[in-house]
Amino acid sequence: MRVGIIGAGGIGTVHANCYKNIPDAKVVAVADIIPERSKKLADIFGVDPYDNAEDVIKRKDIDVIDVCVPTYLHSEFVIKAASAKKHVLCEKPMALTYEDGLKMIEAASKNDVKFMIAHVLRFFPEYIKAREIINSGSIGLPKVVRTYRGGPNPAIVREWYGYHDKSGGSIQDSLIHDIDFLTWTFGPVREVYTRGNVFKRKEPFDPEYDLVMMEFENGIIAHLVSDWSGNQRTQFGAKIEIAGTDGLVEFTSFNSIPLKLNLFEENKGKAESVSIPESPLSPDIEPYTREIREFLESVEKDSQIPVPAHDALYALKVALTCIESMRVNKPLEVKL
Amino acid sequence: MKIGILSCDHMHAESYVESLKRIEKVEIAGIAEENEKKGKDFAQRHGIKYFRNYEDILSDKSVDAVVICSANAKHAKMTIDSARAQKHVIVEKPIATTIEDAQNMIDACRENKVKLMVSFPVRYAPPVRRMKEIINEGKLGEIIGISATNHGTMPGGWFTDKTLSGGGAIIDHTVHVVDILRWTFKSEVKEVYAKMGTLIHDIPVEDCGLISMKFKNEIFATLDASWSRPKSFPTWGDVTFEIAGTKGSMSVDAFAQHGIMYSDRIQYSKYVYWGDDMDYLMLKDFVKCIEDDLQEPVTGKDGLEALRVALMAYESVKKGKVIKS
Repeated sequence: MRVGIIGAGGIGTVHANCYKNIPDAKVVAVADIIPERSKKLADIFGVDPYDNAEDVIKRKDIDVIDVCVPTYLHSEFVIKAASAKKHVLCEKPMALTYEDGLKMIEAASKNDVKFMIAHVLRFFPEYIKAREIINSGSIGLPKVVRTYRGGPNPAIVREWYGYHDKSGGSIQDSLIHDIDFLTWTFGPVREVYTRGNVFKRKEPFDPEYDLVMMEFENGIIAHLVSDWSGNQRTQFGAKIEIAGTDGLVEFTSFNSIPLKLNLFEENKGKAESVSIPESPLSPDIEPYTREIREFLESVEKDSQIPVPAHDALYALKVALTCIESMRVNKPLEVKL
Repeated sequence: MKIGILSCDHMHAESYVESLKRIEKVEIAGIAEENEKKGKDFAQRHGIKYFRNYEDILSDKSVDAVVICSANAKHAKMTIDSARAQKHVIVEKPIATTIEDAQNMIDACRENKVKLMVSFPVRYAPPVRRMKEIINEGKLGEIIGISATNHGTMPGGWFTDKTLSGGGAIIDHTVHVVDILRWTFKSEVKEVYAKMGTLIHDIPVEDCGLISMKFKNEIFATLDASWSRPKSFPTWGDVTFEIAGTKGSMSVDAFAQHGIMYSDRIQYSKYVYWGDDMDYLMLKDFVKCIEDDLQEPVTGKDGLEALRVALMAYESVKKGKVIKS
């Protein structure tokens, strides 16, 4: 399977490192408008860097395009790649608008290519385990769910995240992980209500903090925190707690870090201690590797992709409704 | 590749068989267990064939390798018989209960040109591999000392019968950590001082043990090998390392990747582990070393040296002094 990566920023780098552990996949091209970035990733594979994504999409010898560009460019490049008969893996969130998402699905189906949105949370071993526990019946029927996702404001490192018309903000960009996981696990949402500061923020680097309440069609209620209020020193983390009629299960990334490295570093003549947490996993279960591997397998075998595109579109719809609820300050039903 | 399980005395047989099922190209020949009730239940649970006598697995020419999970004192005979039948062997830790047995196992496998691997799955836990990498890269500077634990719950059964186990908590729980430290530092233990006792449970072997050791490269380490976790503890035990170096420190909790579950159906809280399955990763490597005819990733000598430290600990307790090798 021959792969071209479009976008060599944060997630592009994560994906590139995954391909090293997927023997059946070969990265043959990397594109980024910033030449240093595309060169850095292309060098990993000893391939040519491109500064124009369309030159990669054009190549006849490529089967799969991995779209890792910022959100506001997703629909454009997915549609271009699909039209060039390439299978497409695209970073979450699917698109900025529901209509764009629909067009992407249409383009993929018209050209008969596989198209998956990289909702990687579905491949995180702790979230897989959460579903196993629910299905085992150990906690009875799930009833009340709490999630947290947050850490440093990503706009500090990549400014585009701070612009609502480019990233969609923390709900669309980050909370969508939890939204997709919950809708995958508990089914459709009846109503959402959000309080947050999206519409009060002035500068792209201003912190964003949103609290969402959700009611599912089956009566489960959920509280979701989307937190971009941290600075560069804030540790990123996620939590999920599911309380049921017979018990409770919780997974907290902060409490499950197996390795903590503390290095003494000289900083302007002052000795400082830098703490580096790590949670290593083998490529067998490392979520990004597994996600890409399973997507490529579905391309290879022409089988159902692991994250159906309509699921991603639904998660996008719920996220957009959460934001709209904040704007109008009203609980809103999720209507397709 | 066809692999048989010899005995399910050791509970790790349960996870080994499930791991083997997940490895492509591996076929399970069956379980041989002289305790018929136990063996048949095991076979039924895992959907594999039951044999009363392990010789019946060894005489099957199509079997390539065996996983030995008998009580510690029975490892030697089973391993030597397997080697003579031209089967590659992976044997549960500790390799044996005496140095002599361990050496005979190593010799028999060498003479019959079969692999002998000792089951030290902790080497395959990604946090522990990463720990070794960080230390070997020199990120922590020179290592000064290490405080380690390998706690467990009291396993009961043959584990408390010295003629079958060779001892209690010390022989059961010293070898993992010693193996990780030897592997990381490429140095042997030269001095051991230990304290032990039967302090918690009414059993004929020790349930608590503290060991202080020094390696030839001057690094010192202590280990708590006690079966001190109560039955209500949320998991089976732990493997942890606190490491101090000249440029930094590191703490490693090999099984920290877990959530927590409270269930009214079991009436106590339980860790839900979601990290890698180290048994699976280890057995995959065992299969690979046979297929590609590579050096065993964990050798009989590794098993023997780890056992030697446990035996030095017993000698230290007996004599009340520091034992030097």
